[in-house]
Amino acid sequence: MNPALLMWRAASFLVAAGFVGLWQLVANLKLVSPVFLPGPDRAWASLVRGFTSGDLLAKTIGTLEHMAYGWLLASIVGIALGAMIGSSKAMRSYVAPSLEFLRPLPVSAIIPVAIALFGLTQGMALFVIAFGAIWPMLLATVHGFAAVEPRLYEVARSLHMSRLAVIFKIALPSASPDIISGMRLSLTVALILAVVCEILAGLDGLGYWVLLSARAFRSADLFAGVILLGAIGYVTAQAMSMVEQRLLRWRTSGH
Amino acid sequence: MILSATARPHPPAAAVSPAKAQIAFSHVTLDLGGKTIIEDVSLDVKPGEFLCIIGASGCGKTTALRLAAGLYQPTSGDVTFDGASMRAPRRDVAIVFQDYGKALLPWRTAAGNVSLALETIGMPASQRPARIDELLHKVGLPNHAGKYPAEMSGGMQQRLQIARCLAQEPKALLMDEPFGALDAMTRQGLQDEVLELVAASGATVIFVTHDLEEAIYLGDRVIGLLPHPGRIGIELTIDLPRPRDQLTTREQPEFLRLRRELFDFIKASEA
Amino acid sequence: MSGERWKAAALPVALLVALEIGARASGIQSDALAPPSAVAVALAEAFADGSIIGATRDTLASAFAGLLLGGAVGLALGIALGIFQPFDRLMEVTIEALRPIPSIALLPIALIALGFGYRMEIVIVAFACVWPILILSRAAVRSIEPRLIEVSRALKLSPGDRVRKIIVPAALPRIFLAFRLAAGIALIVAVTVEIAINPIGLGASIMTAQQALRPDLMLAYLVWIGLIGYALNAGLVVAQKHLFGPAALAGEAR
Repeated sequence: MNPALLMWRAASFLVAAGFVGLWQLVANLKLVSPVFLPGPDRAWASLVRGFTSGDLLAKTIGTLEHMAYGWLLASIVGIALGAMIGSSKAMRSYVAPSLEFLRPLPVSAIIPVAIALFGLTQGMALFVIAFGAIWPMLLATVHGFAAVEPRLYEVARSLHMSRLAVIFKIALPSASPDIISGMRLSLTVALILAVVCEILAGLDGLGYWVLLSARAFRSADLFAGVILLGAIGYVTAQAMSMVEQRLLRWRTSGH
Repeated sequence: MILSATARPHPPAAAVSPAKAQIAFSHVTLDLGGKTIIEDVSLDVKPGEFLCIIGASGCGKTTALRLAAGLYQPTSGDVTFDGASMRAPRRDVAIVFQDYGKALLPWRTAAGNVSLALETIGMPASQRPARIDELLHKVGLPNHAGKYPAEMSGGMQQRLQIARCLAQEPKALLMDEPFGALDAMTRQGLQDEVLELVAASGATVIFVTHDLEEAIYLGDRVIGLLPHPGRIGIELTIDLPRPRDQLTTREQPEFLRLRRELFDFIKASEA
Repeated sequence: MSGERWKAAALPVALLVALEIGARASGIQSDALAPPSAVAVALAEAFADGSIIGATRDTLASAFAGLLLGGAVGLALGIALGIFQPFDRLMEVTIEALRPIPSIALLPIALIALGFGYRMEIVIVAFACVWPILILSRAAVRSIEPRLIEVSRALKLSPGDRVRKIIVPAALPRIFLAFRLAAGIALIVAVTVEIAINPIGLGASIMTAQQALRPDLMLAYLVWIGLIGYALNAGLVVAQKHLFGPAALAGEAR
C-alpha cells in the first residue's frame, strides 16, 4: 500500500473513531435513555467481562457452529446437486425452471414447516440454515456448469476423458468463480438464519443471548452481542475473500 | 503421392503400409440443420502427409476438419482412420483449435495444461514433470511452465496448445486455422516450428487455413473447397523442396505460380 | 417453446400429484404436511375470511416503508460517496464496520427501543436495504461516462442541478436494479422479523398456523408468500425491461 492510501486509511479510522466518540457523547449526555443506548465504554466492558468471566465465547462458538454446519451441508448438497442438474441438458430443462421459480421465495418462510417437522431442535436449525444457504450455491453451480466453454468439452472428447474427469478437471474449475460467489452469499444467509433459529428455538448462541439481554434490559450485553455478530459477519466474509483470491488467482493474474 | 525432396522420415512402422491412406473420406456428405454443408467429398491422406485445405469463408473447411476429428458424423459416406470408422474422437488424433484462448484451461498453468493430456493417457505422476519439461521445451516455452494462459501472448498460448496436442503422441494433427488470429511475424515463426515438429514426429497433418501462401508454404498438397455445399474444387501437389525457407521458398517461380493458381480458384469460387 | 414449457411444468405437477396421492393413500395425519388439495382449500378460506389479505397488507406495508426509508438513505449516501472521492475514502472504515452486522441482530435493540409493531419492523428492513442500494448506487455514479460530468462542468450547472439533471438520470438504470434487489431483501427481512418475533403480517400468520397444528393453512401461507416473492421480482423485472430496455438486464450478476 502506498503512503497516500495509508494516510487515507488512517484518516478513515479517525472518522470511525469520531463516530464512536459521538456515540459516547450521546450516551454520556443521556440524549437517549441508557436503557436503550449504552455508551461504547459499557458495551466494551461487557465484551471484556463476557470473554474473561462469562460465557460469551461459548455463545460465539455456538453461533459459528450453527452457521458452519448448515453452510457446509448446503455447500456439499448444493454443489453436488447443481453439478448433476447443470451437466445434463435434459435435467436442466426439467428442473431449472422450478428452481428459478423458487428462488425469490423468502427462505425464512420455511421455518414454521421445519418446526412442525423437527420441533424446536438443533436439527430444525440445521435444516433451515442449510435450506436457506443452498439456493445461491445451487443456482450458481447450475449456471456455472451450463456456461462451460463448449470448446473445452471438445478438448475433453478428443482426449477421451472419463465423465468423472470431465466434471472434476473441466466443469467444476470452470464453474468455480460462480460457485465461490454463491458460497459467499450463502455465508450471509447462514448467519442471519442462525440468529433467527437461535431466537426461535432458544438454542445456545449469540442470537438467543441478545434476545435474553434485551428482555432483561441489559443493553450493554445486548450491544456487545450485536458487535460480535457484526464481527462474525466481517471475519467470515474476509476469510471467504481470501479463499477466493487464492483459488481464483488464474483469473486476476496477467492482463 | 510420394513425398518429394523432403527431409521428412516416414512414420514409425504402422499396421498400414505407407502407400495406403491413413485418413480417408469416401463420398462423405454432411447435413446440419437442414443444410448440406459438405457434399460427396472423397479424399485420401497418406501417413506422414501434410495436407492443407483452403477455401472461401463458408466453404466448409472447418467442418471437413471436424469430420476428420470425429467431432461430427457424416450423414452419408464414411470417414476412416487407419481403416477404422471415426465414430468418435480418438486420442491419437489431436486437434489444434483456432481459438486457443477457449481451448486452454485458464485455471491451469502452462505445465498444468500439458499435464491434462498426460493425466488422461494415464502417465504416472512421477514421470509427468520430465515429459512436460520436454514438451514445453519443444514448442519454445521452456521458461513459462508456471504461467497461466492469461499471462501469455496469443502466440505463446497457441504454442501451449500444440504442446498439449503433442503430449497425446498423435499419429495425426488436425489444425483449424491455428495461426489465423496471430500477427504476421509470430505466424511465420510458428509455421517453421510446426514444420520442424511435424518432421520430427512423422505425424500426418490436415491444416485448414484461409491464407493461400501459408497453405503452399506448409503443405505437400493443397485442396481447395468450393462453397455451398462444400466440395473439392482443386487439388495441387506442392513440389517445393524441403526444408522450406520463409524467404527463398516464397520467391521461387513455382511458389508464385501455385499462388496465382489458387488465387484464381478462390476468385472464381466467390463469384 | 411449448415443449420447453411442458418440461418446466412437468416436475412441479408430478410432485403435486405424488403428494396428493401419497397423502390420501397413507392416511397419516401429519403436523407438517397436507395434501395439495387441502392446502388449496385453506388458501381459498383464508382469502374468503380476509385474514390473508390483512396480513399481506401489513407485511407489504412494512417492507415497502422500510425499503423507501433505507433506499432513500442508501441512495443519498451512495450518490454522495460516488461523487466525492475523499468523502468515500473517509467513510470507508465506518461502512466496512457497519455493513456486516446481520440486520436481524438489530431485532432485540429495535424491540426494546420501539416495541412490537410496524415501527421496529420498518427500521430493521430499512437497515437491511441501505447497504445494497448504497453500494450499487455508488458504483453506478462512479461508472458514469466522464464526458457527461465534463459537460455539466462546461454548462456550469449548480451541484444540485448536476445531481438532478446529469447524475441521477445517467445512473438510473443501475439504481433501479439496486432497488429491485433491495425489494426482494425487504420482503425477506419483513417476513423473517414477523416469524421471529413481531406479531403482525404473513410471518406471524404462518407461525400461528403452525402452532395451531394446521399444516394445510401453514402451507397455504407458505405458497402465498412464495407467490408474492415471485410476483414482486417478476413485476420489477418487467418494469426494468420496459423502462430501460433489455440491455438493462444484460450482464447482471446472478
